[in-house]
Amino acid sequence: MSAAWSFAIVRLLGLISVAVLGGMIWGRPVLWLAAVLGAYLLLQLINLYRLGRWLRMRSLVDPPDVGGVWGEVVAQVVRLHRRKRFHKQRMIKLFRELRRSTAAMPDGVVVLAADNEILWFNRTAARLLDLRRKADLHIRIDNLIRAPDFVRYLDEGDHSVPVTVRWPAGGPLFLSMQLIPYGAGQQLVLVRDVTRQTTLEAMRRDFVANASHELRSPLTVVSGYLQSLSDTIAEDSSADRLWEGPVQEMRRQTERMTEIINDLLELSKLESADIEAGEDEVDVAGMLSLLRKEVLSLERRPQEFTLRLDSESRLLGNEAEIHSAFSNLIANAVKYTPPEGRIDVRWWSDAEGGHFSVRDTGIGIAAEHIPRLTERFYRVDPGRARRQGGSGLGLAIVRHALQRHGGRLQIESTDGQGSTFTCHFPRRRVVDPERGVATAVS
Amino acid sequence: MDTADLSHHISRRFNEDLERLRNKVLTMGGFVEQQLQKAVTALVDGDSRLGEAVAMDDYKVNNMEVTIDEECSRLLATRNPTAGDLRLIVAIIKTATDLERIGDEGEKIGYIASRLASMERPADKYREVKHLGRQVSEMVHAALDAFARLDARAALAVAREDESIDEEYEAIQRQCITFMMEDPRTIRRALDVMWLVRALERIGDHAKNICEYVIYMVHGKDVRHTALEDVEKELRTKDAQ
Repeated sequence: MSAAWSFAIVRLLGLISVAVLGGMIWGRPVLWLAAVLGAYLLLQLINLYRLGRWLRMRSLVDPPDVGGVWGEVVAQVVRLHRRKRFHKQRMIKLFRELRRSTAAMPDGVVVLAADNEILWFNRTAARLLDLRRKADLHIRIDNLIRAPDFVRYLDEGDHSVPVTVRWPAGGPLFLSMQLIPYGAGQQLVLVRDVTRQTTLEAMRRDFVANASHELRSPLTVVSGYLQSLSDTIAEDSSADRLWEGPVQEMRRQTERMTEIINDLLELSKLESADIEAGEDEVDVAGMLSLLRKEVLSLERRPQEFTLRLDSESRLLGNEAEIHSAFSNLIANAVKYTPPEGRIDVRWWSDAEGGHFSVRDTGIGIAAEHIPRLTERFYRVDPGRARRQGGSGLGLAIVRHALQRHGGRLQIESTDGQGSTFTCHFPRRRVVDPERGVATAVS
Repeated sequence: MDTADLSHHISRRFNEDLERLRNKVLTMGGFVEQQLQKAVTALVDGDSRLGEAVAMDDYKVNNMEVTIDEECSRLLATRNPTAGDLRLIVAIIKTATDLERIGDEGEKIGYIASRLASMERPADKYREVKHLGRQVSEMVHAALDAFARLDARAALAVAREDESIDEEYEAIQRQCITFMMEDPRTIRRALDVMWLVRALERIGDHAKNICEYVIYMVHGKDVRHTALEDVEKELRTKDAQ
């Protein structure tokens, strides 16, 4: 028990004994006791009133100068109040720091509530997205950033990859936006200015396309002359036989160069097109039957080539691109499978979408090469690739064509035993023959 | 009225319906903006494929308008909205109609652009048309922003821009006439360009209409066929109150 409390009790006991003593000397002890206790109670009430008044108007009035227990209570309150103020100031400082640092971030940040309402954004976001401080709070972000690609991105479930939009449409800026969910239903939108990268990328694509185009015409001239040269050597007996081999080799190499340039052109066409391919109905079964005939007419091919069509579903997409993806995969299988091997091609559809697979019993691919297979000019075995021909761009074309259809390429392979390449197409791009369009895409 | 006003309904469903409608019309607006931009790009770059793609996609705009209209009439029938809610729905119906018209004009521009792509390009590479196109796209963009923010003041400022677009339209028209008189071989192309700038000018008018609906929605005042100066005066006295 503190000194103040002991003193208060002693004082109360003292007062009572004074009252009792007074009563015994001058009579009427009850009245004495009542009077003394009444005075004591009045004093306490006065102190309580002063305390209450001070608590009400703490900022204006100094703490009451009271002693004893009441003084202790006042000191306690003062201490508590001071501590609270200290914490509050620290929080405010911390919050200001935080806000200043996010405001200084080179990337734009927008905080969204669960229904895409804007809760807060930093200065960079305001500049990039043309948002107005205060006025634009509590407006849904897709009402202001109306770029169709972004709206679709917001609605879709998958936000792992940022979306690049040009907003306002046709404006100078290319913005990369990514949604990051956090906390209870809140989300963060990161906005980055990718104008420089996008224009550089476009320049690179244009360069590749133009360079390939420019190389094609001289190459046509060279291969034309080589053709007539080899004809002359074959027909003219007086010609020097020594040149027959080199001319043949030159012809082979120019053919290969033509192939590479054609693939480069096709790849740059795929890259420069819009993100999503069109939605023409493509007859996959018919296309695959034709491809099968082409393979069967080849001189050097695996002895068994089967085509299994488990579905009559059609694909919504660009016929030329799908054809080039499928034919590239089949050509690869044919190239890397020995004559005694077999190739199985299959097309089927299920709840997840459409699938096309090519399985071969060829030479297979070691696991460490698989992740890099779709890179341009990536070679598992450079020497072999040169003998077998091919541009080294086939799988890159396949990957890009699939990407434009919202699909993906799956590669499974065991070294020495064969590989399976599977193309997966999303459900919305598959049309079932009996039910019409599987899912309407608006 | 602002968005906070939308949340006072006892029925949460009604709120959500109204919100969704507003979102739909703005989503439609975003798509229309993109269409317009693509159409102008197709013309300036001489990209006939892009121009055709724009024309082919116009059906999407039409579908959106039909859905929005259906939903609006459903809400009108089932909820009997009054005051601000009624104004909101009326404004949405009208905005959707104007957006659909903008889409149609965009389709027209796309067609003409793909046709012009095969013709010889003039020396100035359609600089004036490009400028007008940019101005009109910005106007549509600002009009939809005003709609999203329910900002009557901004809407009024956008509506005023229509005058400068009309002036630009006249200037290009006069230029085309001069070209035709100088060299009759350019008549065909000049006529196409005239159609095209006419479409752009119409889009400017539709954007102005949208701005007027915004003012109607916010202040409950029909400002169609009223001189903009009077509207401004009126808004100022309203703000002062």
